[in-house]
Order: sequence, then structure tokens, then C-alpha cells
Amino acid sequence: MNTILGLGFILLAGLFSARLINKIRFPSVTAYLILGILIGPALFKLVPKGILDASGFISNIVLGIIAFGIGQNFSRDNFNRIGKPVMWISILEACGAWVLVTLVFLVILREPFYLSLLFGAIASATAPAATVMVIREYRAKGIFTDTLLGVVAIDDAWCLIIFAISLAISQTIYSHKLATFFLIKVFLDSILSIFGAFILGGIVAMALSYLSRYLHTQTELLIFTLGFVFLNIGVAIWLKLSVLLANMFLGTVLVNINKSSFKFFDALKTVDSPLFLLFFVLAGANLEIRILPKIGLIGLGYLIFRIVGKVTGASLGARISNASKSIKRYLGWGLVPQAGVALGCALIAKNDFPEVGSIVFTTIVATTVVYELIGPLCTKYALRKAGEVMLEPH
Amino acid sequence: MQVKEIMSKEVITVKHSTTLRQLLEIFAKFHMFPLIPVIEENNRLVGIISFRNLLNAFRPLEPEVLKTVPFLDEKKEDIFKTDLTEEIGNLVVVEDIMEKNFISIQEESSLEEAFSLMELHLKEEFPVVDKRGRLVGMIGIFDIIREVFHQKGVI
Repeated sequence: MNTILGLGFILLAGLFSARLINKIRFPSVTAYLILGILIGPALFKLVPKGILDASGFISNIVLGIIAFGIGQNFSRDNFNRIGKPVMWISILEACGAWVLVTLVFLVILREPFYLSLLFGAIASATAPAATVMVIREYRAKGIFTDTLLGVVAIDDAWCLIIFAISLAISQTIYSHKLATFFLIKVFLDSILSIFGAFILGGIVAMALSYLSRYLHTQTELLIFTLGFVFLNIGVAIWLKLSVLLANMFLGTVLVNINKSSFKFFDALKTVDSPLFLLFFVLAGANLEIRILPKIGLIGLGYLIFRIVGKVTGASLGARISNASKSIKRYLGWGLVPQAGVALGCALIAKNDFPEVGSIVFTTIVATTVVYELIGPLCTKYALRKAGEVMLEPH
Repeated sequence: MQVKEIMSKEVITVKHSTTLRQLLEIFAKFHMFPLIPVIEENNRLVGIISFRNLLNAFRPLEPEVLKTVPFLDEKKEDIFKTDLTEEIGNLVVVEDIMEKNFISIQEESSLEEAFSLMELHLKEEFPVVDKRGRLVGMIGIFDIIREVFHQKGVI
């Protein structure tokens, strides 16, 4: 199959599978992922090599776009609206998963620190799609639901920050191949990568905002925004800065300096869906089935302790912010699903760490499929226990 | 020529607390649902409502922040099949469904600027505000086109 035919096939097959899976009440991204596993080299081998080779390329673009969108959350108004419980719970559940998984991998599974840190960072991500779908399906309403939605929405931002920091640290340790590390060197290099990303995002945001006064049509707006986002991603890659943070900062600075910034973010929404579809299908297609048997223990450890970290972190955050009993007990269970951001980060890890990257990636794809399947059940459980289910679907 | 010279100064407005029922009653006889500015004390413009926002009433409302979340499926709603209850008419208020991200235009802007903005955002009307952010009128694309025809002697 040639590359373009492959693309057409992927898009249409993706559309069809999403429809199918929606009927059994799972989000579309689950369909794309499973489709990718089915048609990839692991099983039916239908994906042309040209497309597979572009996996890193596509994921950098997609992650850049979503990091840009996530940056919007950090506007002054938004922070005022978020509220203490959501802030505390989201920060602590993300950190809870990060710290616990890192420690478990380091101490119990005896993996090297840089690898444990990567797994820990990826563990902090939550995928909202499955949770939101359940909430919509059950017409859930109330404080528990609002808090849960707030937490899943802002959670990606924390994960990106956590991952960027962890990646910077892991890369520095890995490239120096030291058993112990020179704290200062690692610290400085990481700070440089993060600070540099901030400066880059800020400068590009100012240029974008200033030049946008010359735009006349929607078409120009779309091309302009896309061009700047790609520029930002490209320069970040070139200067070895964090792509995720650079784009997140681009979004954040933009939303704070430009009153009608929503037009830039909205413009991208018109073209992002085929890219997202491709991203997930490729994520599934990159699954290396021969590695699966080797990751049994790692996969299990990750699977269990990510949930434990999230549930206890959320509970702690709820306690600190005086949230209701239901929130303290059950909110963490709504945070089980994992998909897009985790996969994207795992793909970055795969590219940046040639030896162990595949293990990380395959583990994450496999655990993502499991999480996407059990996630909705956990969310339904949490919503029922919180008493906020308004409609039992037939 | 400035926007304030040809804008409509008589504008139907609503407040944050206007209920869905009251909103629909105002427009009971209209064929199309126009853009309605939402104002608070001193005529301060705080939002707009269009018919698209009415669709939000068919669904439990989701927090703003969800708009930035990636990979979400679009809300699929068959408006003919939802179970709406009578209370929705009184329970849902303008503040719940209005659009807070909107474009407004300064009363002293030129017609060229207004038209340009309409083309860029693919919108046909904007609320007009003064320097203090207070609503002073509405301007539509038809107002501008009519003025151009007038200037050229067509009418």
C-alpha cells in the first residue's frame, strides 16, 4: 500500500471504528488506538512504512498543538475561576502518581532512576475523554461532577510540566551515564531547557500577537496560527528545548497579552481532528508485540501503583481543601483513564532514549488500552457512589 | 465615517439573571434569533447570546475549562430526543449559557475596520461599546452595506 492510500485508509477506517466503538459507549480515541494496533506491524501489517516513519514527526506536531491549547488555562481569569479544591486535588493527584510510580520502579522493580522518573512522569497524566463521556452519558450533575471535570481538565497542564522537568533530568542523567549524578549540573541543564522554553514561547507569542493585526480572513488566520505553532515547535527542537513547555508557554503568554486570543485557538480546532486520529492510530501501530511478554511485571506495577498514587493524591488534596466526603473517597477513581498526553510523552521518550524507549512506549500503549477499558467502569462507580448520576442509560 | 453614526441604538438586551423562558418569550415572534448583548450595571457589556448558545440548554452545562481539553469527542445531541423538563425554563439563566469570549467594536472605529473584523471572524454583527466598555449599540453587516450603497447614490 502506498503512503497516500494508507492515509486515506487510516482516516476512513478510523472514522468507521470510532462510530462502532461509540455505540458501545467508549470514546473515539480508544477506537483509533485499537485500530492502530490491529493494522500495525504487530498484527495485520497494513500501515505503509512511510507513515510509520513519520510517527515522531506527527506526534511532535500533535503534542505541540495540544500543549498550545492547554496553555490557555493559565489566564488570570481562569485561575480565579478554578477554585481551591480543583487546584489542590489536581496537583496532588498528578504528583501522587508521579512520585509513587517513580519510587516503586526504583525501589521495588530496581529500574534505573532515569527510567523510573520517566514512567513516573507519564503516570501523572489523565485522559479526560473517557471520563467526560461517562459524565455526559449519565447526565451527572453536582459538585462532585464539577470538581471531577475541573480536575481532569487542568490535569494535562500539570502532567506536561512534570514530564518536561522529568525528561530534562532523565536526559541529562542518561547522557552523562553516571550511576550517581552531579546534582548541580543536572539541575542547571534542566532549568536551562525549561527557562529557554519559556523565553521562546514568550517571544513567539509576542510576535504572533503583534503581526496578527494584519490578518484579513479566516483562511489567513488559520495558516498564520498553524505557521507560528510549527515555528515554535521547530525552534524548540532545534535548540533542544522542551517542545511541550515551549508551546504551553506560547499559549499562556498569548492568552494573557491578547484580548481576542480565542480566535487563534479556535482556528486550529478546524484542522486538528485528522491529525489527532492519525496520532492515535500511529501510537497503536508503534506497539511492538514481541516486547509485550517482557514487560509483564513493569506493566502490572505501573497499572496498579498509578491508580494508587492518583486515588491517594486526590484524597489528600480533597482533605487539604476541605472538600466533601464523596470527593475525598471517590474522586481519584474518576482519574483512571489514560491516553493522549501519556502516549505523546511516551512517544517522545521512545525517540529520545533509543535503548529503553521502546519498553516505555510499549508499556504505556498496553496500559493505556487497559485503562481505557476499565476507566469508564471506575468513573461510573465513582459517580454512583457520589450519588450524582441523573440518568441510567438503557 | 464612524460606527456610531450608523449603528442601531435601540438594542434588546438581557442580564445575567434572565431566565431561558424570559429569553425565549422576548423572541417568540422572531423568525431568526439575533445576537443579544448581556449587560450588567451601568450598561457594562459582559457577554453575548446567539442561537448557538441556546443549544447549550439541551445539555448539562460543562465548565469553560473543558474547551481547552484535547481529544474530546464533540457533544452529540439530538435535540428532538432530549428529555427537557418544564423547570429548565426557569432554572437555566443567561449566565449559564452565554458566550464570554466575544468581539466588540469601539464606537469610534471606522466602517472599514468594522467590516474587516466581520470578515476575519465570519460574523455578521457586533455589539458596539464606548471607551468604558458600556454597550452603546449594535452594528451589522447590512448597516455597512446599506451605507455604502447610500454613499454611491444607489439609494
